[in-house]
Amino acid sequence: MTAPASGIVVPVKRSPTLRQTVGYVIQQALDADGDAPVIHFVSVASWRADDPGSDADRRRATELLEQVETWSRFELEEADADPDAITIETAVIGDDDYLFSPADYAELLTAYGESHGLGHVVVDPEYSLVGHTTLVEPLEFELQQRKLSIEEAPVDRPTRRGRLTVSSTPARFLTLFGTSFLFYQILGGFSGLFDIVTGLATALVVAIALDNVSFYRDPTLVESPKRLARGVIYVPYLLYEIVVSNLVVARVILDPRLDIDPRLTKVRVFVGSGFPLTTLANSITLTPGTLTVKADDQELYVHSLVPFARDGLFDGALERWVRFVFYGREAARFPTPRERGDTEILQDPDASSTADANAVADGGVDVDGDSGVDDSTDIADDSATRSQEGER
Amino acid sequence: MSVADTTVIAGYTVGDGLLIAAALFVTLAVAMLYRAILGPTNQDRVLAVNVLGTNTVVILALLGAALGEPWFLDIALVYALLNFLMSIAISKFTVERGGVI
Amino acid sequence: MITTARIGLIAVFVALGLFFTFVSATGVIRLPDVFSRAHTASQADTLGAGFALAAVALTIGWGPTAVKTVLLLFFIFVTNPTAAHAIARAAYEEGVEPWTRGDERR
Repeated sequence: MTAPASGIVVPVKRSPTLRQTVGYVIQQALDADGDAPVIHFVSVASWRADDPGSDADRRRATELLEQVETWSRFELEEADADPDAITIETAVIGDDDYLFSPADYAELLTAYGESHGLGHVVVDPEYSLVGHTTLVEPLEFELQQRKLSIEEAPVDRPTRRGRLTVSSTPARFLTLFGTSFLFYQILGGFSGLFDIVTGLATALVVAIALDNVSFYRDPTLVESPKRLARGVIYVPYLLYEIVVSNLVVARVILDPRLDIDPRLTKVRVFVGSGFPLTTLANSITLTPGTLTVKADDQELYVHSLVPFARDGLFDGALERWVRFVFYGREAARFPTPRERGDTEILQDPDASSTADANAVADGGVDVDGDSGVDDSTDIADDSATRSQEGER
Repeated sequence: MSVADTTVIAGYTVGDGLLIAAALFVTLAVAMLYRAILGPTNQDRVLAVNVLGTNTVVILALLGAALGEPWFLDIALVYALLNFLMSIAISKFTVERGGVI
Repeated sequence: MITTARIGLIAVFVALGLFFTFVSATGVIRLPDVFSRAHTASQADTLGAGFALAAVALTIGWGPTAVKTVLLLFFIFVTNPTAAHAIARAAYEEGVEPWTRGDERR
């Protein structure tokens, strides 16, 4: 390759600051002296080519790259530059390796840079590796070990976890106040005036301090009690499920041969973020044999101990129940993760064991495959549309 | 007369039975020290201490029932809270840049 | 008669609680990596604690104290899996690779 060594390689992945990073890179390239700067935007694959569901992943990555390219063209026009002054290329790399650590990523980027004569890496500060939240620092460290020059794009980062706090409303305030007061009275054993006065004071403090972090949506008089009631129906089922699978796992663990086959799996679930997702993740963890390692928006990384537990997880009974609890009966009718092809066994020696799963129901479900961008959308609406799609 | 003082066999009461159960729970909790000391990773240790803490909560509750001291349960409640906070805090701060919850 | 049934139920619950806590302890000691240990630590242990606390509630009888036991039970059921999740995630983020069949025991 004859491309200049000053070429820039930019790993891309959907993030709030990707747009700014693209702008910065283009500006960098325009400001740089020398002839025909080269920019490569690469999407590092988080899947392997023969994995089930990899087609959907690949399609999404390609779409993202197309978008990045559009942004770049736009930036060039803005800067009144000759559209051909900069060579922009996009690529999806690494889909035949199982990438785990930052070192793997660095290795791959270095190899790509060398083969295309690119010596400079610009990283989006919010760039995330698979299975990690933000591990740009280790990645940068690894890259520096490998004689690439590296730079973090200077972007205005949004306040992290900004959506945790929301403005308070009277409904939230009153609900929290009432709950804390009741809790205080239970602890105190409903013992007279003193407890009531101190309880009111305590509940007031709690409600003022915490009402902007305790709810995602306003509790309402109609919907919230219904949810509570459906939650009460859910509890016995969950207990039953816990006891049964606990017995299965107890048998496996007490078995002298210790016949376990642990695997990390990835399941995309549709329950909406926030409290429903927490409920689902905790239910999955409570059901023996499965343990939620990481919840990345709607993608759960679940560690499963035995195949029995894995099958149960992919059948999606818990997911259906959680949807039922939060959104009602219509939302419960929806294909299982296995039918949707939203399951994936990571570190699987023979990926073919679930290959038949991705043939079914791939379309229609992918509507918000990139839910990572904005998951504060109205969940109830979303799930309603999804359940309609499920019936098609 | 509460249930805890009811004699079951040979002069032993239900409370005595609960005390024996508490002793067995202590044994299981002590076994957790194996993981807590040997590790190998820090997370293993936190996990072992977490299990130990849950056992402690149960032991406190059993003792409270056996000895007829209901306020043991308040301590158990606080202990459960602290146990949870311990796990979360250590998990959070052993990871660079935080971000575990 | 009712007292006998109650005592019997207490005995069963305590025994079940001990059994599942024993499974949990065995799992934490025997299993090969932090992820699989987190399984038993969060699940068998929660169930064991659940049964033991149910026995305690039965012993104490109906009243404000029993409500406290139920509260404790609820609390353990919510926090234990969350704690296990946090620990497992911390391990994952630190780059502890999950053990798979065929790897050496650690």
